[in-house]
Amino acid sequence: MGEQPNTPGTTPATAQGTDDPYGVRKDLDDPFTLVIVWIAVLGLALVNVGLSFAIGPTKFTLPLQLMIGFVQAGLVAYYFMHLKQGDKVVILTALSSLFWMGILFVLFLSDYMTRHIIVGG
Amino acid sequence: MSVAVSHAAPVAAPPPPEPEPAKTNYLNVSHTIWSWLFTVDHKRIGILYLVSITVFFIAGGIAAGVVRLNLLSPNGAIVTEDAYNRAFTAHGVMMLFFFLIPAVPAVLGNFFIPMMIGTKDLAFPKLNLASWYVFIIGAALAIWSVLAGGIDTGWTLYPPYSTRASQSNVIPGVVGVFISGFSSIMTGLNIMVTIHKMRAPGMTWSRLPLFVWSLYATSLIQLLATPVIAITLLLLTVERAWGVGIFDPALGGDPLLFQHLFWFYSHPAVYIMILPGMGVISEVLTCFSRKNIFGYHAVAWSSMGIAVVGFLLWAHHMFVAGISFYAALLFSLLSMLVAVPSAIKVFNWTATLYRGSITFQAPMLFALGFVVLFTIGGLTGLYLATLGTDIHLHDTYFVVAHFHFVMVGGMVMGYFAGLHYWWPKMTGRMYSDWWSRVAAAIIIVGFFLTFIPQFWIGYHGMPRRYPNYPDKFHVFNVMSTAGSSILGLGYLLPAFYLTLSLFYGKKATANPWSATGLEWQTPSPPTVHNFDSTPVVVCGPYEYAIGVDQMGRGLPEPPGPGGAEGPEGRVGITGPPGPMKKETEVVG
Amino acid sequence: MSASTHSSVLKHHFEDLGQQHACERLGIWMFLATEVLFFGGIFGAYTVYRLWYPHEFELASSHLNRTIATVNTVFLITSSLTMTLAIRAAKLGDRSSLIRNLLITAALGTAFMVMKGFEYSADLHERYVPGRMFQGEYEAALRAVFPTDGPALTKEQAEEYFKAHPDEHQKWAAELVLQNYGKSLNDPTYRDPGRVQLFLCFYYIMTGIHGLHIIIGIGCILWLVWEAWRGTIPPENYSTVEVVSLYWHLVDAIWLFLMPLLYLAGSGMHH
Repeated sequence: MGEQPNTPGTTPATAQGTDDPYGVRKDLDDPFTLVIVWIAVLGLALVNVGLSFAIGPTKFTLPLQLMIGFVQAGLVAYYFMHLKQGDKVVILTALSSLFWMGILFVLFLSDYMTRHIIVGG
Repeated sequence: MSVAVSHAAPVAAPPPPEPEPAKTNYLNVSHTIWSWLFTVDHKRIGILYLVSITVFFIAGGIAAGVVRLNLLSPNGAIVTEDAYNRAFTAHGVMMLFFFLIPAVPAVLGNFFIPMMIGTKDLAFPKLNLASWYVFIIGAALAIWSVLAGGIDTGWTLYPPYSTRASQSNVIPGVVGVFISGFSSIMTGLNIMVTIHKMRAPGMTWSRLPLFVWSLYATSLIQLLATPVIAITLLLLTVERAWGVGIFDPALGGDPLLFQHLFWFYSHPAVYIMILPGMGVISEVLTCFSRKNIFGYHAVAWSSMGIAVVGFLLWAHHMFVAGISFYAALLFSLLSMLVAVPSAIKVFNWTATLYRGSITFQAPMLFALGFVVLFTIGGLTGLYLATLGTDIHLHDTYFVVAHFHFVMVGGMVMGYFAGLHYWWPKMTGRMYSDWWSRVAAAIIIVGFFLTFIPQFWIGYHGMPRRYPNYPDKFHVFNVMSTAGSSILGLGYLLPAFYLTLSLFYGKKATANPWSATGLEWQTPSPPTVHNFDSTPVVVCGPYEYAIGVDQMGRGLPEPPGPGGAEGPEGRVGITGPPGPMKKETEVVG
Repeated sequence: MSASTHSSVLKHHFEDLGQQHACERLGIWMFLATEVLFFGGIFGAYTVYRLWYPHEFELASSHLNRTIATVNTVFLITSSLTMTLAIRAAKLGDRSSLIRNLLITAALGTAFMVMKGFEYSADLHERYVPGRMFQGEYEAALRAVFPTDGPALTKEQAEEYFKAHPDEHQKWAAELVLQNYGKSLNDPTYRDPGRVQLFLCFYYIMTGIHGLHIIIGIGCILWLVWEAWRGTIPPENYSTVEVVSLYWHLVDAIWLFLMPLLYLAGSGMHH
């Protein structure tokens, strides 16, 4: 909320004459990091598949699978989608989409998880 | 680029010289049809939207006329029962999805948000144009589905009726609404990014005009709620087209799930419809009472409050549909909560009016009408949020009257207030002051006569959407229909005097209402790029007390009671012209 | 002013490239938020039914093709990597690397859709489609066990029969009939065929919408290739690549949830 309107996002300090006159390279990705993240996400996906073969459908399977999914999505968002370089508003946007999805889930379930309970029963 | 921002507003600055009327403005820069159809100018796109939604307002109004005329007689006066179903569905679909939702955001928001925050255009001009085309495609489908026989499900499209039983054009109508939803998302996204990233130097968040705040809140809802109706309508279409889907009770599906998903959008959507109107009211009330807004931050944050809390209470539409009792309790409580930010707004507006130098030009009459009608609409909403009374009142005309007080008495009033307020800026012409005030008076009288009887018949048990009713409701229905014809006449008047003003109206000055916003610092009508140079904002949006605009310059003489007709109409002014003195200190 | 005002990439209504990039990034993120809510609606509906009918969902899920789904997961995650490398190449002004990475991404996306096509056609072949196809197949299996013109088979006979005639009835239909043999509708181990179809509705709609997103993404990437080839993506225009990449990653991330919800819900014994 506190950002100055119309403040240039690129650093004006990058002067003409360098090979990066527009200052776009200050957040350049390290390919090594990207590959590590790729291996991690891929590994977690295989763990997820293996897990469901190993323990089958129990009541812990789904929460575990979803937790793994969230870790994977978090890695993708943070490294591949550059949330780590995002300004406050971008992070707020990303979080608010999850928050509003949370509203949908919680209030949906407030009905569906209590519908069978009879008043005074 | 750093700008020194002074927090001590300059006192008694001289008004800026009247800018030369620009030789080329956004209207006369080119005249071909293509220059309109392929324009990326936010002002022209606003005008395109204005024309399109006017068509829908008339079409929806005709459908409402059919409904009201048919209710003149207890057994249906003019159309068959099946046609009656199609008429009220057409009325609902067209008014809600194709008039109320785009009305203020896409017309006035498109036009004035960039001007009010001091920038050349919205962040994504091509996306803006695309949104209009998407809207037109959706609208064309909806119109086609109505002309080709109509839809008989009601605008709420509940399955299993809409998926299995209805013999009407559900799919084209639903696809039309689905498509137009994307246009709503595009507009909301554009406005939101623009407000975040394109503000002029010095235009901090706490200097934003409240219209901008309210459209920010609106855009938030458009962005986060509209996709849910998109997926819901998609699921409905799939189910109707393939005969199998997730709302099908024969498979173990839950038709109530559709209602949950539908109202997750459609309840916040009523705040898409009312919040922009509230923003207009904050602009108009301050200007025509020559007062700083009372409680700027309270009004600004109450918009955000309504936007967020508005997501938490959709299931009050389903209290008698068979949802869990405990969920109903929760939703009832949460529904009460939204009354708090709404009341904050009404109280602050009232405090703004207190001891103001009020003049009653048409925008002000519409705005005052908004405050009264919205308050009635809001308070009757509490009856419906209460679990016990809702069981009695659910799906009766009481509900119909309630939401028409909010939607028509609120949003349509707000839209007309905004249209009349900004018309001189949009067109460069003044409309007839006398006729516009007459129209406002007729609309308010007609409105009361139409909808007050509906509270009574609803409370006494007349269900909504029924073409027949017992004789004891006859006289009230006749009253309501009579009122609606007055209302219709009132809505026709602006069509005449606003159109006439384009040809015969007096040329408007740059700031005919002596208002403070940046949009009044441009010539009327504005130039293509709005501002010759980026304006620098030095103070808050409603400094009527010390009489300076947002750039710290003085204000021209404010109009008197007949101000729109010229200075000769100033006789009988209720307060001194120019800056306020004593009352200023009262409100700080 | 800094040099950043003098690029042909800068659009007229922005003050400088920094503002333009910030607007583009925020705009696409807001669009992604709408996408999250778009999928959120159907995920919410899925959650409701999964909680209501866990056993039918497990049974239905175990007949989906987990192998293809796993291969597809690998494709998508890898395409996310190459997409991110494309942004890096754009920022460095390395045009051939940019085009190469974009083409690999598009190719992986296409491979995903091709596999998906094989999967759908196999499902269709197994008549594992809700509605008339499912009903017909299930009823055919039922009639084989409970013929209208003769005595009903015992459960053991039915098992024998299905084993002896693997080509006449689908595996899923046989399993459903055997599972429900002699059970009342209130039996907790009864598996309602309607609820199995509900799962299949979710399967087709969710993967269908997701596939549509992939196709749109491939289109956008190919457009980027064209632009890069024309030379209209200089380093200061990297944000165009980033906008598409953000969309692509989101579609990838959604798949990471579709995979466990749809393919990994059951025991995975059939594929």
